[in-house]
Amino acid sequence: MNIIYYHTLPPIADYFCPKTVESAVSLLTRYGKEAQILAGGTDLLVAMRSRKLTPSYLIDITGIVSLDYITAHREGGINIGALTTIRTIELSQVIKEKYLLLYEAAHCMGTIQVNNLATVAGNICRASPSADMACPLYALGSSVKIEGPRQTRIVSLSEFSIGSEKTALKDNELVTEIQVPELAPCSGTAFLRATRVASDLSKTNVSTVVTLKDGVCTDIRIVLGSVAPTLMRAAEAEEIIRGKKIGKTLIEKSAQAASDAAHPRSGSLRATPEYKKVLAKILTEQALTLAFKRANQAGGK
Amino acid sequence: MAEKEIKLNVNRQQYSISISPQKTLLEVLREKLGLTGVKNGCNMGECGACTVLVDNKPVSSCLTMALSVKGKEITTIEGLAVGDKLHPLQEAFIKYGAVECGFCTPGIILTTKALLEENPHPTEEEIRQYLRGNLCRCTGYTKIIEAIVSTVKGLGKGGQLV
Repeated sequence: MNIIYYHTLPPIADYFCPKTVESAVSLLTRYGKEAQILAGGTDLLVAMRSRKLTPSYLIDITGIVSLDYITAHREGGINIGALTTIRTIELSQVIKEKYLLLYEAAHCMGTIQVNNLATVAGNICRASPSADMACPLYALGSSVKIEGPRQTRIVSLSEFSIGSEKTALKDNELVTEIQVPELAPCSGTAFLRATRVASDLSKTNVSTVVTLKDGVCTDIRIVLGSVAPTLMRAAEAEEIIRGKKIGKTLIEKSAQAASDAAHPRSGSLRATPEYKKVLAKILTEQALTLAFKRANQAGGK
Repeated sequence: MAEKEIKLNVNRQQYSISISPQKTLLEVLREKLGLTGVKNGCNMGECGACTVLVDNKPVSSCLTMALSVKGKEITTIEGLAVGDKLHPLQEAFIKYGAVECGFCTPGIILTTKALLEENPHPTEEEIRQYLRGNLCRCTGYTKIIEAIVSTVKGLGKGGQLV
């Protein structure tokens, strides 16, 4: 892998500061592939300095203040505005109470300096295979709201991410909101990851959401990051536990199935594929144990 | 690629300057405004040496476009002392020997200032977690933590952190 990291950003032709979603979308429509959206910029500027991305135009949407919010949805669940930063998520009482794994991901991710800039929507749109915020959001069954010049559409995260750093977003579209559905009562969640040093992208990360009723698992979602080109839902691992009374052996079996399904690439900077598969098993086992303990505490016995 | 006019508010002073649109806040602070307390360590948001406060929040200035911070209050390390009177954190860092080469120091002090405004009595664990984005290659962090803990204790006794 041969990367030259330049000291300066490549020259740009113009820098726009739209104040509304409509003006941002019309700028995207006008400039298409020659433009990039600038929100937190924590990923974009690094990509520009390595010349991976060389937009002629930057559309700075940080002035669209109406996109920074966390609100309760009338059907339960919450909506997160596209400009909400990782740090805002970490400090949100609502999120810590309702979706603990989302707090856990925001808390261990990045650094304070990056998290004060970086947005949750940006993490989803970058679609890195390890996406530390997209992973728990995916496990929660979240969707993104996308504004285009002629239509608004809602796409689930499972359909939005289509490859490594590829999404279903068109050139003239803007993600404006993340919608997180309400969790069933007696649910528990957990997010765990392994890194090389304290603040780093994940070698492997796991999000899990479980629902218990009288000791039986009525719903379960296990999502792994960094073990496939996109976030990977471990469907076989979920099947092993769904509908059954949970216990240590079942959790171990499920974790093994998650590890078997993992197909990490070779050549990663952070861990070999063999090690990632080992981590997948251990982290899934730990995350499931933790999530079930929390579901029990929420009254799922 | 015409230059753009911008008004920046840095350390409670207004600066009217003309810059290329692709300049980062880090470049503009150092090269246009001569505020070289902010450092370029890694240029990718991992080391914290470029930390400045924007509206009192610590951010990586190497990842911030200069044009994105017009109208915001920017604080660099030069903005902490009032005349000859150093900020309590600066005093503590000197007293405890928390400065060796000094490269990481402005970033660490600014980040700590933000921490103490959010949480005046952090535990050592909370301090380390908050400062995880500020790397120091010289000190091993021991004296830095001691200096910060002593400042926190000073606050506890009713001291005021300006």
